This record gives sequence, C-alpha cells and structure tokens, in this order.
Amino acid sequence: MDLALAERENTILGQDFLTWLWHASEARRGVFKDKDGREFNLRMEERLSVQGGDGEGLESAVVKSPSGELTEARSGLRSGKKVSRAQLRFERDPEAWQVTLKDNDFSLSGLKTPKIETNDRDDVDPDARVLEKLFLIEQCLELLDGVYREFLGLRLGTAKWTEETRTMRDWIGQGQP
Amino acid sequence: MAILSTSLGLTRYRVVEAIPDSLWRESPKRLKDNAFRDIDATTDERSWGWCNIDNMLDMEWAESPPEKGHYLCFSLRLDTRRIPPAVFKKHCMIALAGELEQAKAEGKAFISKDRRREIREMVMLRLRARSLPVPAVFDAVWNMQTGRVLFVSTNAKAKALFEDHFNLTFGLNLEPLTPFFLAASMLGGDAAIARLEALEPSTFV
Repeated sequence: MDLALAERENTILGQDFLTWLWHASEARRGVFKDKDGREFNLRMEERLSVQGGDGEGLESAVVKSPSGELTEARSGLRSGKKVSRAQLRFERDPEAWQVTLKDNDFSLSGLKTPKIETNDRDDVDPDARVLEKLFLIEQCLELLDGVYREFLGLRLGTAKWTEETRTMRDWIGQGQP
Repeated sequence: MAILSTSLGLTRYRVVEAIPDSLWRESPKRLKDNAFRDIDATTDERSWGWCNIDNMLDMEWAESPPEKGHYLCFSLRLDTRRIPPAVFKKHCMIALAGELEQAKAEGKAFISKDRRREIREMVMLRLRARSLPVPAVFDAVWNMQTGRVLFVSTNAKAKALFEDHFNLTFGLNLEPLTPFFLAASMLGGDAAIARLEALEPSTFV
C-alpha cells in the first residue's frame, strides 16, 4: 500500500489507540500484562495533546500538567477531540521507561530508558553498553507493541469495540458540569 | 554515539522484502561502498553516506566492525555547507556593483539577466569554498534476528535520506512502522489489511 494512502488509517488507528490507552490506563489503574503474563504499569503523564476537526477546522490543544490531572485535555475529549500525542511511562519493577508517542506515525521522541549499568571499563566488551541500551529500548518497544496488539484485538472486533466505546463515552462524560 | 543518549528520538522500520542470508556477510562491504565521502576540500553543498557508529571519521570500519552482537550498527553522516542568506545577499551586492561599474566603463547601462544568474552562482561557489561543511550524524541499528531497523531521528528530511540510501546500499525497501503498517505486520494477511483499510473513525462523545 502506498504510504500516502495509509495516512487516513494511520490517523484513525493512532488517535483511537492513544485515546483508548488513556482510558484503559485509568480504568485499570495502570496495570497491564506483557506477553509472558508479567504485570507492568503504564500511565499517561504530564504532557498530552488532543486534536479534533480536519483541514482548516483542525484544532489542537497541548496540555502540560505536572500533577497528571490533565483536566483541560479531558474537556477536549468531551468536545470530540482525540489524543494526538502522549507521554507514556512504563514501569516494570525495578525499571522505568518514558516516551512520547505521536498519533499518525508512531514516532517516538524523548525515549528515556533505565540507566545503563555496564561500566565503560577496559575489561568489559566494548560493545556492552550499546547492547545493553538496545536491549532496554527493545524491551520498551515490546511492551508498547503488546498494548497495541491488545487494542487491535478490540478495535477490529465490532462487538468488542462497540462495548469499549460505550465505556469510554461514560468515562469521558464523567465530571461533566 | 546518539543511540546512547539519555533522551532518544526514534523511527522504526520493517524491511519489506525477504532478507537474503548472504546479505549479512556482504553488508560490511556494502556499507563501505556507500560510505560517506568528505567534502572539506571541495565546494560541494552536501554529501552523505555511511560511517562507523563508533567514530564518524571512520569510513573504513577500521576502529570496529559494524556487527555488534546480533545488530548491524552504522551511522548516516550528512555534511552540509550552509551559507547564511544575508551573507550571500551581501556578497551578491558587492559582485553586482563591481560588474555594473565595469559594464558602465564599457558603455553598457545594465547587466543582463543571464549574467546576473552567473554572478550569483559564482558568488555561491566562492562562499562555499570558504565555508566548512557542518556534520550531522544519525545512528541506525538493524536487528539481524528480527530484520527490524531503528533510526535515531524523527526528522522527516533525515528519514527520507536514510530510506533512500538504505535502499541504494542493500537493495531493500524500508516501511516505517506507523500505526497502519505496524498493525498490518502484527495481524498479517490480506483479510486483516482489508479490515484495517475499511476502518472508520470512532466517536467517543
């Protein structure tokens, strides 16, 4: 498929995923499971962008909230906007990753992995630091892919997604004045 | 090495075609054949190619091989000469003023459009000869077990250059793992792709 033709699908999938992820992370109190059934924590935090409309009517709002309340972003969802960029924090004891994910291309920015433990000493493999870093990056991608796979299972199952959107609608409407 | 940075920008790719087994053996030579060529002593505006991920000055992989564990690691080096527009404009004014003076001495009152273009090109070459190229390095990591590629940048121009040079070097096409292509690679099969293509946006309000 032509890359440009996938633009529409990229935005639909990316925004639905990030919006679902915000809801799922709150509904489950951040607890997800990796492919081996091991629990990890995933939360959206501090920075989030929501977007709605299209063409000249495209509107977006960037919300920064150190406390993680993101009230303004939630009111954006109530007016029909969806999450277009989110800062995610993965925690799997004792390690933590932070990354910002963009809706339409899944580009990853500000990826912070756990600290590399390998020392830069002469007696260790000179590539050890790179290999450890790559291992940590791939672990983060694996956790992210696992969550995306779970989302796809819901999104492509008509009945499941209808039920999920109903739950999300209730969640978005909560706290409405 | 950018890949070791505390904060990373990443683009993920999948190789579209099946990767021939022989490619991993050939890859060090392919990287060298398409390595970065220095333009410090020329007036070229841009140059790009591969270099050692451990040292951007090493285009022979003399310091270390590109293979690290089950990864093939290399960097895209891009050197660019940037002439600030204000500097270019000033030197064009100086050159045109000199040309006009000479033209007047020869009894002509103006400089033709073609000659103006020539002068601008000459000025640009002169300025380029006096300016040093600014190097930029973008790391790339190819997992030889999964075939997946990580490019350490999210910049659109750097990505386009990387995709083209990768294709030229290895004869393989890269597909960025955007939401659609990541989903397609996870689900596999034409039926799943057809379902993805038929998706309509969800309404949450």
